[in-house]
Amino acid sequence: MLRFKKTIYINIDSKKLKKEEKRTSPEVPEGMWCKCPKCGQILYNEDRKEANFVCPKCGHYFRMEAYERIEIVADEYTFQEWDKKLPDKNPLHFKGYEKKLAALRESTGLLEAVVTGKACIYGEPCALIVCDSRFMMASMGHTVGEKITRAVERAIKEKLPVVLFTCSGGARMQEGIVSLMQMAKTAAALKKHSEAGLLSIVVLTDPTTGGVTASFAMLGDIILGEPQALVGFAGPRVIEQTIGEKLPEGFQRSEFLQEHGWIDAVVERKKLKQTLFQLLHFHSVNRSSVHMGRDTIRLDERDRKLLKERKKQKKIDAWERVSCSRMPKRPTAMDYIQLIFKNFYELHGDRAFGDDGAVIGGLAFLGGIPVTVIGQQKGKNTKENILRNFGMANPEGYRKALRLMKQAEKFHRPIICFVDTPGAFCGMEAEERGQGEAIARNLYEMSSLKVPILSILIGEGGSGGALALAVANEVWIMENATYSILSPEGFASILWKDSSRAKEAAQVMKITAEDLKQLGIVEKIIPEQIAACEGNLLEIAGYMKQGIKEFIEKYKDLKPQTLADMRYKRFRNM
Amino acid sequence: MMFQKVLVANRGEIAVRIIRALREMGIKTVAVYSEADKEALHTQLADESICIGPAASAESYLNMEQIISATVASKAEAIHPGFGFLSENARFVEMCEKCKIVFIGPNSGLIARMGNKSEARKTMEEAGIPIIPGTKEPLIDAKEAKEIADKLGYPLMIKASAGGGGKGMRIAENAEEFLSNFQTAQQEAEKNFGDNTMYLERYIRNPRHIEVQILADKKGNVVYLGERDCSIQKHHQKLLEEAPCQALSKKLRQEMGETAAHAAKAVGYENAGTIEFLYDKDGNYYFMEMNTRIQVEHPVTEMITGIDLIKEQIRIAAGEPLSIKQEEAIITGHAIECRINAKRPGKVIELHLPYGNGIRVDTALYQGYIVPPYYDSMIAKVIVHGKDREEAIQKMCSALGELIIEGIDTNLEEQYQVLMDQKFLAGQIDTGFIKEHIGKSLK
Repeated sequence: MLRFKKTIYINIDSKKLKKEEKRTSPEVPEGMWCKCPKCGQILYNEDRKEANFVCPKCGHYFRMEAYERIEIVADEYTFQEWDKKLPDKNPLHFKGYEKKLAALRESTGLLEAVVTGKACIYGEPCALIVCDSRFMMASMGHTVGEKITRAVERAIKEKLPVVLFTCSGGARMQEGIVSLMQMAKTAAALKKHSEAGLLSIVVLTDPTTGGVTASFAMLGDIILGEPQALVGFAGPRVIEQTIGEKLPEGFQRSEFLQEHGWIDAVVERKKLKQTLFQLLHFHSVNRSSVHMGRDTIRLDERDRKLLKERKKQKKIDAWERVSCSRMPKRPTAMDYIQLIFKNFYELHGDRAFGDDGAVIGGLAFLGGIPVTVIGQQKGKNTKENILRNFGMANPEGYRKALRLMKQAEKFHRPIICFVDTPGAFCGMEAEERGQGEAIARNLYEMSSLKVPILSILIGEGGSGGALALAVANEVWIMENATYSILSPEGFASILWKDSSRAKEAAQVMKITAEDLKQLGIVEKIIPEQIAACEGNLLEIAGYMKQGIKEFIEKYKDLKPQTLADMRYKRFRNM
Repeated sequence: MMFQKVLVANRGEIAVRIIRALREMGIKTVAVYSEADKEALHTQLADESICIGPAASAESYLNMEQIISATVASKAEAIHPGFGFLSENARFVEMCEKCKIVFIGPNSGLIARMGNKSEARKTMEEAGIPIIPGTKEPLIDAKEAKEIADKLGYPLMIKASAGGGGKGMRIAENAEEFLSNFQTAQQEAEKNFGDNTMYLERYIRNPRHIEVQILADKKGNVVYLGERDCSIQKHHQKLLEEAPCQALSKKLRQEMGETAAHAAKAVGYENAGTIEFLYDKDGNYYFMEMNTRIQVEHPVTEMITGIDLIKEQIRIAAGEPLSIKQEEAIITGHAIECRINAKRPGKVIELHLPYGNGIRVDTALYQGYIVPPYYDSMIAKVIVHGKDREEAIQKMCSALGELIIEGIDTNLEEQYQVLMDQKFLAGQIDTGFIKEHIGKSLK
């Protein structure tokens, strides 16, 4: 250590000092800092606000106050609050309830646990319903239920979509059975809203539990979750006490919910406004004003020309087609979707069991028209194939597809399916969950959907697993795709007890595009100059895009019932 | 009202420099230090010292919450940030303002404005300072940028809005390499600053780097204190600075000074600041950026003007008027500063510092001190003042000969090479000097 003389060398004038007695010493104003409950770091509140209330150090999602939420989601100055003050009810004459409400109003500045109103999200108008957990854990008493119901009813009247931000501990104990009835009341209001053909989007935020989860929180056409948000019917502590076990990490969190088929997507807060806009926009486009672009050459002419040329070339046999359709490098559904459509937004889950990786689906635009796109998805490598189960769908895959198709029907969107599967998955779990029923249900429901359906076989069309996405107004097939009752290997082993005779089987089964066209199973063949691969993907996708546009042009003005009738006839004649 | 206690939010020689100035003014000093700086000179020299965290800068000298807490706890009324670390962090200054702590420097709004390059350029252009021809609005789209680039002509400099230290910066010599260079620079900017907005400007090959020192008080008085020539740079890091600049005529010196002072006034500047210019071969000067803090090389200005810039900073922050008027700022003689950098950390076994007439050494070294590996490599500044440039160079050579730092490898040899170079002696220097004249021997 160095030994310095630390005296102050210059004397300060004592008079000067006296004048300076009234100095204000520095202090940290209230609320300048806050502590992240997850990482324990001290944060500057302005930084936290700028990061949309996500910890800049560890990414923890802070719970948001209702008005903060409105601020980050709604366009500036567009929020108009509805039913700000409704009279309180104390149906059980619960002692001290009024006092508690008064105290909370004082401390939070809120009148109740939910804020409702109308706002615009990047110009898209909607009704907003936002819960605030600071007010009695956003429990649903009469006033909360009433405000939500009124907001939904007003949205029906004003033909507005509803966006609900949920968080809640559940029912409000102080209001007893009256609180329970709010679940039925809000659910009924949303049913009416849906029957009016209107869209509802739910955003689940931390924590959403109990009676709210078991009512309006799970009833959106589209359900989004904030990362890591706790969502469940019973709280984790109750479950642990009941079963006497500790719950695994991540249980009942948004990501868990997506995996189990309950929500469409987990959305980061910084992307939330953009996502909501995108989803609202899919449902607000005025279709009658959209004119799809059209190429000068009609595709039918081009098809015939191309295929004629091809016939002159060496004949490709059925088995070669089979190998071609199975090539690992063959483009998959997602490759086409990305190139043909704009703004594809994937929606997950069957709302019953899980989210099947073998089936993808979502919303997209084609030539300015919103469409529902569904595809069977294979992987490009082993890792992806495990995730995609080699394109073999489970019941939840078919149920997800059906859920999205039903939604397309509600919102009058054409449905485009890309079929590419060796077959529906043959496994124990698939049987337990009703693989047969899931396929049957799709055939049954698709037959009467009141929107145009186009299915394109892009690779393997394996039996019932393929048909479950192909009860369409038109079925198209790529030149090197196949469509069959089962695989040539299976066919050979059943008929001839020798699966090695698959080549021979392929010939007699009539499974190539040309055969199928002759049999009247498909309407159109999409030519492949060379077998589809990365090199000609762009060209094929462009070709398909034009074809799909023409399909939509052809069917979009037909009456809904006519569309269903046409489809009925198509299969009735087979 | 003059402060009674000030916290110095920095380390190394600048912290020592500030502590000395405060002490001379009769103000109590509070040092903050990291766990690695327990034995550092500034820690030992201050009246009070507060540990603010582990060795890593991010957790100590850049830890705003800790520094604010240390200030409140020690009841210091003001913070002197020095240079680097939090000295140009608008967020930190905003916190100080909220906590009623005087930040010795300009206000947060001004720092934010000058810290954003596009904004600074726009502001300075409005204030009448010549700027390098280039884009005014930030660019994101590469194709759009290309169109503008073709109009501006090549060579062009591509810069990140939030850039600094050469990151997010590329030169496009011609139209062919523009797109790829733009994209690389943009990716770098995105990665380093989280901001992908870029701008373009005419690339001036090997200009001189000349900067004008200004002081502005709360009453609206502004003075300029001549310029410094900082052209001797290695990898965009200044190595040797001198004042005044040999290339400027008296008339041009006055013009640049007045322009700088006018700009400072126009933006409502307060405290010490530096306006950096590029000076091309044809005698044109262009605004480059404004530094809203004290500079490493401030001693050369102090030597030729006799003004203590740190003390002026403190006085201004306390609300006092400038102690000098423009006509009193008279430049005498020539001053040179050499930055002594450690090539690697280590222990100072033996130390001898040069002293004598016209020689000044600013350092935080002492015999037995261990230079830690966590911070900037600059360990000392040797500053000399002579009656003219020739004498100053002679004096510097002589002084460096007396500088002995045993135990640590330094860049002393490089400094000698510069000082003895014929071109340098002739005053023919520009920012390409090291690369072109010293070149290979300086690796």
